[in-house]
Amino acid sequence: MTAEVSTDIIVLDKVDKRFGPNYAVQDLSFTVKRGQIVALLGRTGAGKSTALHLMMGVMPPTSGRLIVDGLDPFREFKKLRGKLAVSFQTDRLLPWRTTLENVALGLQILGIGAVERRRRAEEWLANVKITGAENLAKYPHELSGGMRQRASLARALAVDPNLLLLDESFSQLDHVTSHALRTDVAELVRRLSKTCVLITHRIDDALEMADRVLVLTAPAKVAYDLEVPPGLRHDKAWLTEQERLIAGAMSGPAEQPRVT
Amino acid sequence: MEPTVISPKTPGAVIPTAGGASAKGGPVRFWARELLANAVVIVALVIAMEVWSRHVPPFIMPPPQRTFNAMISALQNDYIHIALTIARLLVAVFAALLIGTLIGAAMALIRPLEPYLRSIVVIDTGVPALSWMLFAIFWFEQAEARVFFILLMILVPFYALNVFDGIRALSRDLVEMVETFRPSRLQVLRLLVGPHIVPYLLMTTKAIIGYATRMTVFAELVSVSSGMGARMGAAQSTFAMDGVLAWTIILVIANLLIQGLVQGLESLLLRYRPEVEVR
Repeated sequence: MTAEVSTDIIVLDKVDKRFGPNYAVQDLSFTVKRGQIVALLGRTGAGKSTALHLMMGVMPPTSGRLIVDGLDPFREFKKLRGKLAVSFQTDRLLPWRTTLENVALGLQILGIGAVERRRRAEEWLANVKITGAENLAKYPHELSGGMRQRASLARALAVDPNLLLLDESFSQLDHVTSHALRTDVAELVRRLSKTCVLITHRIDDALEMADRVLVLTAPAKVAYDLEVPPGLRHDKAWLTEQERLIAGAMSGPAEQPRVT
Repeated sequence: MEPTVISPKTPGAVIPTAGGASAKGGPVRFWARELLANAVVIVALVIAMEVWSRHVPPFIMPPPQRTFNAMISALQNDYIHIALTIARLLVAVFAALLIGTLIGAAMALIRPLEPYLRSIVVIDTGVPALSWMLFAIFWFEQAEARVFFILLMILVPFYALNVFDGIRALSRDLVEMVETFRPSRLQVLRLLVGPHIVPYLLMTTKAIIGYATRMTVFAELVSVSSGMGARMGAAQSTFAMDGVLAWTIILVIANLLIQGLVQGLESLLLRYRPEVEVR
């Protein structure tokens, strides 16, 4: 147990999640080491979102063991305060808050004072390349899609979490913006030695960012587990081969949840 | 087709611009046209009053000059009654906003209470305003308590139901996002629910303020001896039609000023909302 807390930030051991008779997640087991970027890759209905919600602690598993940063994320929900942060598919910025105020939201919840909050929010906005008093004072509707997503990432990172969960965070952006943001986030996460779990259905997102790719098939079983060697991340031949293998693993029965 | 501006300020409010503020000419031209239209209507009404007053006795329709003099006299000598009415109205609206928000929030957030509170609110909306006025006369000796009680009973359901609907319309995505930071219940209310219901509170205030003004005057007429309603009653009892008309004009002006105040508050508090044009 102690070893898990120190080296593995996430432990899923034979985790089931059922909604009525339907399994959204069945017998899911994997671990994530601290400092790793892991991609959970799968088609629609593969159980990625349910796995994310379980890790977030917003729902309990039906059975099995789930540990996040040494804690049960559902039963010890409040104890994970400041240790875990999430960036979603859509930016989910509060429309009545400026960019700066949105980024400071998590810090405000943590009880950080106004001056320090502002300093840290500005710092994190600069890290995601949003600068200038004018941009910081803008409301979400005045920002571009890419900037909104960057602000959402800054909001998650600003609380200095041990674990960052990215829920399809790049999938609504155009290819160029998505690529730029993925590169920036991966560089930032590695520089800060954070652990990051990327939930995605896009193979290019996963291979470009992650140190390890877990392919999930319905109902959330690990069908393929790939360590991405840093030297091969940009090797076209290797990438093509891996894309073919991953696509094959993903094309399992993904649309229909299993019924007991 | 003329564009229509969906008001950014209040949920669901649609303002046809008819080539107004956001279409051709800009806001200055829009307001100039609005002022001109109002001026034309007022001049037409004054002419109609003048013509009518020449054919009927003064207790039916006094000449406009006499009404104007009565208005000046009321403003000079009875300003305390104007202040009293406005103060009663604002205090009651503010109290109704607070109590209605608490009831609406309790309905939305404390599930077991919802059917009971909803039932109380719905029964309250079914009681005629006149009944509350008569109850107040029986139950309260103090004039201020009577007016306050009447207005509270009439206005609270509007706030309670709108706040309830507002909280239920809160985006699940935003709740989930805030919850990832593990906030306390109080922080959720302060940082998410509170700001989210501000447009609903403003919309309710805008919708009820005219009605609340009329109810205040009516309550004063029926249950107390001070305020604009009571002065209108006194004028009516002495067949002073010029006085009744003067108080009516003062009421309309006061109502417009209060509406302007709410509008200003709305512009300030909801400045983050974009304007949407529908073609």
